[in-house]
Amino acid sequence: MPDDAATGVVPGDAAAGALAYLAEMSLDLRGAAILDAEGEVLAASDRPERWREDAATLFEVADRAGGEPVEQVHIGTEQGEVFALRHGGLAAVVVTERFALASLTFFDMRAVLRDLAAAKPLPTLKGPEARKSRKRSPNGEGNAA
Amino acid sequence: MPPKPHRVLLDRVSGYADEAAAYMRRRRASRRPFARLYYRGGRAEDLAGDSAAGGELFVAAGRLIEVAGKRR
Repeated sequence: MPDDAATGVVPGDAAAGALAYLAEMSLDLRGAAILDAEGEVLAASDRPERWREDAATLFEVADRAGGEPVEQVHIGTEQGEVFALRHGGLAAVVVTERFALASLTFFDMRAVLRDLAAAKPLPTLKGPEARKSRKRSPNGEGNAA
Repeated sequence: MPPKPHRVLLDRVSGYADEAAAYMRRRRASRRPFARLYYRGGRAEDLAGDSAAGGELFVAAGRLIEVAGKRR
């Protein structure tokens, strides 16, 4: 199901960490899953079996529609938006609220999959205090990360 | 008496912000469901919801949205 550039085995805990990182980066995210080259779920926000089946269906339909394997899928509905991406032999499927910024969501997904595929450690997640300091205060201070 | 210079600037910025807010409201109201596929090499394809493949994609997306549930 993912692209054919499969690399080594990605441990499940690394994928779970990547998923947590993705959730941290994308405030609109409702749920997500990361899948390996065989379409097996490495990490999912909930009910991995359902994610495996539904992600496989999505990629199958998308591949069939265009006559060649898709790299990215973006579907917007009244209930939410679905993003799917293949990269480095892995695949990520993300469901967000409506009107999520597509380019940023795909950018984050691609960064996570690239680091996972290269077995690179993900950037350390900052704690809630650090995140707060990134937010712009009413007087314009505190914007430095 | 002419307005103070900073008032002119504030009015102008407020005007731009109002325009942007109105644009976002129109965008939200008018945006229809869509399905977009992207391929290697940069090719992209829009699928209509009433086409067979588009309909299947919306069904698959609906199942994923259902499994994801509401925002936590």
